[in-house]
Amino acid sequence: MSDQDLKDSWWLLSRARGIGLVLRVLILAAPLMALGATSAAGQTIPAINVAITAAALACVLAPDSHVGLVAVGLIGIQWLVAVQDPTTPWVLAVAVSISVFHAALAAAIAVPPAARWTHAMIVRWTSRLLVVVAASGGTWVASRLVASFLVAGNAMLLTASLVVLAMGGLWARDGALATRRSRSDLQ
Amino acid sequence: MKPEACWRPTTAHTRALIGGLLLAVVAVLGRRPDLLVIATPLAGAAVWAAMTRPSTPPTVHQSIDHRTLYEGQATTWRVSFDDPEGRVDDVAVVLAPSAWTGLEPTDGQVVVDLRSDGDDALKVAVGTTRWGCRRVGPALIVASSGWAGFRWSSRNEAAAEQVVILPQLSQFDAAAPGARTAGLIGSNRSLRYGGGAEFATIRPFQPGDRLRRIHWARSLRTGTLHVASTWADQDRHIVLIIDALEEVGDSEGIGGRASSLDITVRAAGAIAEHYVGVGDRVGLLVFGARGVQRLRPAAGSQHLRRLLGVLADIRPAHALADDGRLPRDLGEGALVLMLSPLTTPAALQRAAAVAGRGMPVLVIDCLPTDITQQDPTDPYAGIAWRIALLQRERDIRRAAEAGIAVVPWRGPGSLDVVLRDMHRRSLAGAGRRR
Repeated sequence: MSDQDLKDSWWLLSRARGIGLVLRVLILAAPLMALGATSAAGQTIPAINVAITAAALACVLAPDSHVGLVAVGLIGIQWLVAVQDPTTPWVLAVAVSISVFHAALAAAIAVPPAARWTHAMIVRWTSRLLVVVAASGGTWVASRLVASFLVAGNAMLLTASLVVLAMGGLWARDGALATRRSRSDLQ
Repeated sequence: MKPEACWRPTTAHTRALIGGLLLAVVAVLGRRPDLLVIATPLAGAAVWAAMTRPSTPPTVHQSIDHRTLYEGQATTWRVSFDDPEGRVDDVAVVLAPSAWTGLEPTDGQVVVDLRSDGDDALKVAVGTTRWGCRRVGPALIVASSGWAGFRWSSRNEAAAEQVVILPQLSQFDAAAPGARTAGLIGSNRSLRYGGGAEFATIRPFQPGDRLRRIHWARSLRTGTLHVASTWADQDRHIVLIIDALEEVGDSEGIGGRASSLDITVRAAGAIAEHYVGVGDRVGLLVFGARGVQRLRPAAGSQHLRRLLGVLADIRPAHALADDGRLPRDLGEGALVLMLSPLTTPAALQRAAAVAGRGMPVLVIDCLPTDITQQDPTDPYAGIAWRIALLQRERDIRRAAEAGIAVVPWRGPGSLDVVLRDMHRRSLAGAGRRR
């Protein structure tokens, strides 16, 4: 981040009003909440805690940057290392934190910091957040069910899962598995 | 945020996509379904954003309601936004504040939910606090799709608007009669007899008198033909000379402290409005950053509008931008009103040059009255100003001795006493000639 970028970030932060300010608080609070949930579920690594906090602070300053991705990655690594019980309900708290963190960052880049939110916007962003949180809840329930069965390692299943993920990733990157021609049409 | 011509994925979409995907892959490879729970909100947001991705750029139009305003008036910057696919969620407008304008909302930032709120609310009120030509806009327009996954933004420089903010005219009214002028049409009484409307005297009939002027009552009583003579009507020709070589004092806009140029421009506008309003011809000569700007004398509201436009475009030169001489054809018999803060001898020298051509000239002092107290933090500034004012008073005294009247601008009736004196002098001169 250049000096000018940093100045712009401070200026933007200083202009934040109302919900813009709440979003900045959530951007900082959500990763800390995820850290709290992780520490409740297992033994965390202090260095990663510090890194996550620093990344969250950087996100408050620069929501439209890839530091948010770093923070998400660090939270994932911390969980992976610290927690050995895959069925712990604390994972739901981390999922909610990640949801709030991502939604707050996304809203912060879509809405100017000092702009007044309309009622319709508040309702839409909140309802969508609740939908993904509910989806996380559904995944947790599904993971509990799967965990109750002892599924042996299966190369085919693994390959199929990875292929599905890769295709899903490709599709989500472009919005569709479009042909070269139709993609160029979009440009 | 750089403007983008087409829909581009945002950092939010990248985070959701890569973060969700990585967590999911690790969950699969590491046989950790709990990581899948953490990945779900990110993956969900990425899929949602991808499903609602717009592909067609929207049609945007920016406009301002008024391009000419008076100081203190406000107008509205409007943005119309057409989303052909109906996939746009939030539309944000950011109008950067420009000099001497106030915005409402204060930061010039507006956002709406396009589907629920519509684009009617995409407007920013622009208030003006000082005369001048101001560039307003263009606004930065940012549209986002679901989960702020894709973004389209535009800052069309061609959409910027030039707004002319005319000076809010000071109150001015001159009850004094005008000084001698040359023309024989108009609404002011001439010093000569002629075919006007205002009664002068009854005199014996002379060859050339019109029959309708015969005063029958006097003629019957005296037995010789008498006619009622009238004063000729004349128009007045006013030349306003604006000294914009220097701006003295701080300007705080319409509600606050006024600089010398503020006082000059507002006073000139008020004087011009008054004289144009009574049917006189008013010319303008500006010595400023653009050298010598000149507006030929004319009457009428269109001319007043042009004149105020020139006044609004005045910028201080901070240095002599011309050869210091006045144009030759100022207009014979014109009343010259020079508006200046008189901080340099150049203005009074110009006034002396005008008076030397035999034209009545009146200098209006536009220095702010509180100039010595404008910088309370610097005690030396006040002292320096007091010394400069002593020098200035000496120059003004010398100008007065040379027959150039200098009056401070005090609003309505500022010029009455001096104009009456000038009128009396011109009457006495005309009497001597007769």
